[in-house]
Amino acid sequence: MAEMSLCNRRPVNDEETLKALLSDTGGKEYYKQMESLDVDTDLLWSTISKTMNSRLKTWLSLCAHCGMCADSCFLYRISDRDPTQVPAYKIQSTLGEIVKRKGKVDNAFMRRAMEYAWARCTCCNRCGLYCPHGIDMGVMFSYLRGLLYQQGFVPWEMKIGAGMHRVYQAQMDVTDEDFVETFKWMVEEYEEDYPGLAVPVDKQGADILYTVNAREVKHYPEDLAEAAILFHLAGADWTVASKGWELTSLAMFAGDWEACRLQVQSVYDAMERLRPRRMVGTECGHAHRATVVEGPYWAGREDGLTPVPSIHYVEWLAEALREGKLKIDPKKRLKVPVTLQDSCNYVRNHGLRDIVREILSYIVEPGCFRDMDPSKEHNYCCGGGGGFNGIGLYRAERNKALITKRDQILNTGAELVVAPCHNCWDAIRDMVEEYHIPVKWSFLKPLVISMVEIPDHLKPKE
Amino acid sequence: MFKHILFATSATEACDHAARVAFNLAREFGSDLTVFHVMGIPTRGFSRTMVDVRTREKVEPDEEYSAWVCEEIKTHYSRELEKVPGCDVCVAVGYPHREILRQAREKRPDLIVMGGTTGSDEDSPYRKILPGSTMLRVARAAPCPVMVVARPAASFWGGISSIVFGTDFSKASDAAFDYARELSAFVKGELHVFHAVDIQKEGIFLAQDMVDARLREAVNRMRGRYGSRMEGVDNWSVDAWEGFPPVEIVKYAREKHADAIVMAHHTRTETEEETRGVTLGSVLEQVIMRASCPVISVNRHRKTG
Repeated sequence: MAEMSLCNRRPVNDEETLKALLSDTGGKEYYKQMESLDVDTDLLWSTISKTMNSRLKTWLSLCAHCGMCADSCFLYRISDRDPTQVPAYKIQSTLGEIVKRKGKVDNAFMRRAMEYAWARCTCCNRCGLYCPHGIDMGVMFSYLRGLLYQQGFVPWEMKIGAGMHRVYQAQMDVTDEDFVETFKWMVEEYEEDYPGLAVPVDKQGADILYTVNAREVKHYPEDLAEAAILFHLAGADWTVASKGWELTSLAMFAGDWEACRLQVQSVYDAMERLRPRRMVGTECGHAHRATVVEGPYWAGREDGLTPVPSIHYVEWLAEALREGKLKIDPKKRLKVPVTLQDSCNYVRNHGLRDIVREILSYIVEPGCFRDMDPSKEHNYCCGGGGGFNGIGLYRAERNKALITKRDQILNTGAELVVAPCHNCWDAIRDMVEEYHIPVKWSFLKPLVISMVEIPDHLKPKE
Repeated sequence: MFKHILFATSATEACDHAARVAFNLAREFGSDLTVFHVMGIPTRGFSRTMVDVRTREKVEPDEEYSAWVCEEIKTHYSRELEKVPGCDVCVAVGYPHREILRQAREKRPDLIVMGGTTGSDEDSPYRKILPGSTMLRVARAAPCPVMVVARPAASFWGGISSIVFGTDFSKASDAAFDYARELSAFVKGELHVFHAVDIQKEGIFLAQDMVDARLREAVNRMRGRYGSRMEGVDNWSVDAWEGFPPVEIVKYAREKHADAIVMAHHTRTETEEETRGVTLGSVLEQVIMRASCPVISVNRHRKTG
């Protein structure tokens, strides 16, 4: 069959292809073409033979179908306990079936698998915590996404997102020049309030190399200014890289393994080039997972570590508050009921639960913090993780998926949700729009800025 | 002074008064005019979906959609466009204040013209994402003066010949004065320097003796501070009145038949609560809502380059 113009196995490597995809509004033609897309079964099986490691094979064969994972999955719980939403079923009937059939699956099977991989699993890895054998369906779904991407069965926005990383080394069409220019612009906007505020670009040997989410540059650059302000007030020695500044990876959500590697390598190159003492990433969950936790393996780094020690923004912020580099005015602490959205990617999967709570102990009036139930590593996904937020085809499913988090938030009685993760922040924003619930939501940076004491020597002189 | 004007519009009736002024200014001074509309606000996890600010529908904009919105704007302003041929109409998606500021940074206009508040109702797409007014956010950070035309009465305009400059003696007010003086010299008009003494302090009315003393002090201060810097302005005056400052400024402007009020907007840290309550920043907001002429907010000396 002839190769499709939009929906095909070729990754997006140039602007022209990207534009063609973008101009297909909503992916209408793309999904139509997908209905006739061939499955290259030989390629599928040879890829599995080469890449499926013993852990995945063991997990697939070890699953006792005991159903213990069922209640761990928020998508199962909000679907009237539909058996087809049990994590074990979801992965066995997709990846398990492909392996069983040695890759001999057809178009309809692959389209169903796509729906399972992107609309029935957010790769939150909560099921792995409850499986008696420690089988992590989220990890397996990430692997399945890779196989689906290779065959061209990937949601339209994910194909575009991965393409953005290939073309721009960023999740959006933000160039390196745009990034530096926007950061400088933001600093200019705020330098009258914070005399001496600056953004050091490509400084060698700084204490901190700061990396961001391209969306901050594109849509809410105030976030960049806020990062600069807090580094400035803390007296930090920091810098940003003019190349390799993007922490996120929609390629990871898309299952585009090659783009995953290219993306994190661009950040590691910046680390090698500038040799900072450490890297601090913005308030993003999946970006931390991509660049700090999984990225070293994608890039083939034998020690499994980033070139310089890399920490999440919450780790830096907790340190600055703990060591008194940033001092909170106790009068300005949050005095309304506050809850916290634990990000799957750095709380459940990277152990930072206590760090975030330490920050809250500085910025929330004692007695005002209310944990969700369940919380910490047991917390549920926001409902929009793993790329779910961005996929138009599964909008109805995503909106339904927000219900768990909505009810968790409402049960706390909180007026404000602290969400130090872009994906969670988005999901809560959409939830408020969709369900009209009376809560506010915020990243940490603006909250801390609203209550931090400005040292006398850094105050503006009128 | 008016080589390039950026007219930022919601393309709804809320901006029609501002449009009249923007197009008139461009015609009178032969300015390049950019009509800029932020057509949609990102939604849905910043996917490709946006909320169209006029239809309030969720759409996925593409080039065709943008072109269609541009055409709609041209239709909306067809009469004005006839008077100012060759003006540029462009649209963007994003948070309105940020995209307007982005345009201002790219195009370096001499003046931004905006309408008043658009979204007071709860369902307005402007209210959903960021609290606070687009206009105040733009005025806070703009690299050039921002003219706001909030009321129909502020737009029946025959040109600029009388300018009122309201001061609170701040550093930002100095920048606003320089602009007001330059503008007065440019149009060869009158410049009226004004200060309002707030007769209330923490809810208590000041004794009249104290008010009188403050009025005298203000007049002397204005003469000292601005009197020697009136190059190019032949006709100027200084006045101080007491009362509720925004209202006094508006009344004074009416008495002077002002064609524009120039003020500083220097509260850069307003929060949602502050902008809705009566605080420093809202003096400007109050003036804008009440004035019968355009109000020009100046925050800082113009950046060059």
